[in-house]
Amino acid sequence: MDLKLAIFKPMLKLAMERSGHGAALGFELTKIGRGQEEMSFPYKEEVVGNPVTGVVHGGVIVSLLDTCCGCAAITMLKGPMVTPTMDLRLDYMHPAEPYQPIYVSAKVYRNTSHVIFCRGSAWQDDPDNPIAHCVATFMKVETPSVSLGSMVRRRFNRLIRGDKAFEQEADK
Amino acid sequence: MSVTEPSLKKDLLRAKEQANPQLILDLIPYSSFIGAQARQDNNQVLYWLDRRPSNIGNPSLPAIHGGVIGGFLELSAAIEILYTLDVNLVPKVVDFSLDYLRPERYKTIYANCTVLRQGKKLVNVTATAWQDDPQTPIANARCHFLVS
Repeated sequence: MDLKLAIFKPMLKLAMERSGHGAALGFELTKIGRGQEEMSFPYKEEVVGNPVTGVVHGGVIVSLLDTCCGCAAITMLKGPMVTPTMDLRLDYMHPAEPYQPIYVSAKVYRNTSHVIFCRGSAWQDDPDNPIAHCVATFMKVETPSVSLGSMVRRRFNRLIRGDKAFEQEADK
Repeated sequence: MSVTEPSLKKDLLRAKEQANPQLILDLIPYSSFIGAQARQDNNQVLYWLDRRPSNIGNPSLPAIHGGVIGGFLELSAAIEILYTLDVNLVPKVVDFSLDYLRPERYKTIYANCTVLRQGKKLVNVTATAWQDDPQTPIANARCHFLVS
């Protein structure tokens, strides 16, 4: 039983699904493991990229795969660190079917002292017939900004100021 | 969907005549979802993305979602093709590669695109994003599109 991960799971789920772009997209993290995540995304008309066919924009697939790979990378960390993306490469095998949900999975295949290497895939009916495949690399950067104290301070500030808190933090 | 192939062709022509790439962006729902905008700037098209809470990725910094930057650059590259080349179909993305060069801040992102090669079937485009200074880009994307 991985106790640390058990505590971390709901925090990660909340951070990904309920805030910022994750909330806007409306995906669900369906599986959270160490270095292995799964997500599902329902079809949405707001994110259509081809107005003739109704197919979702490739940018949505980029966001889903980046989030899923990023979550896989975060779950490998042992201390107060963040994992900014170094690079992300996607191959689109075929366009997504409109009006169908999209499923995404990601897996860390190598974890070194400075870099985490990750693979991800997006599909609809058949995992063996993916819409897109990606590889992503993440840096490991130590930072005090993810310590419990600073997180509580930020939460409190946002509770009072709402969205204005983000602007205030960015302008600092 | 109210856009058809003939209506798309007409709208593209209108955007080119009026030198207003924003008219093409307006056809694509995803562009208003993230809030992407574009205008003709000398002989280039300038794309930009104003900050908004629904584009935040890492709330602990705060920073814009890496996927949004990717989506924005992919969108810009496709608009660049529709606006500058004689292509009347929505380009199909084949591959997309993105290097994150610097940590971005929670403020407006700008982008420029360059078509490096145009073949009969494939087009190669690079897109560069920056915030303060075009000389210090925050991300660089490279993508291939099928246009036939």
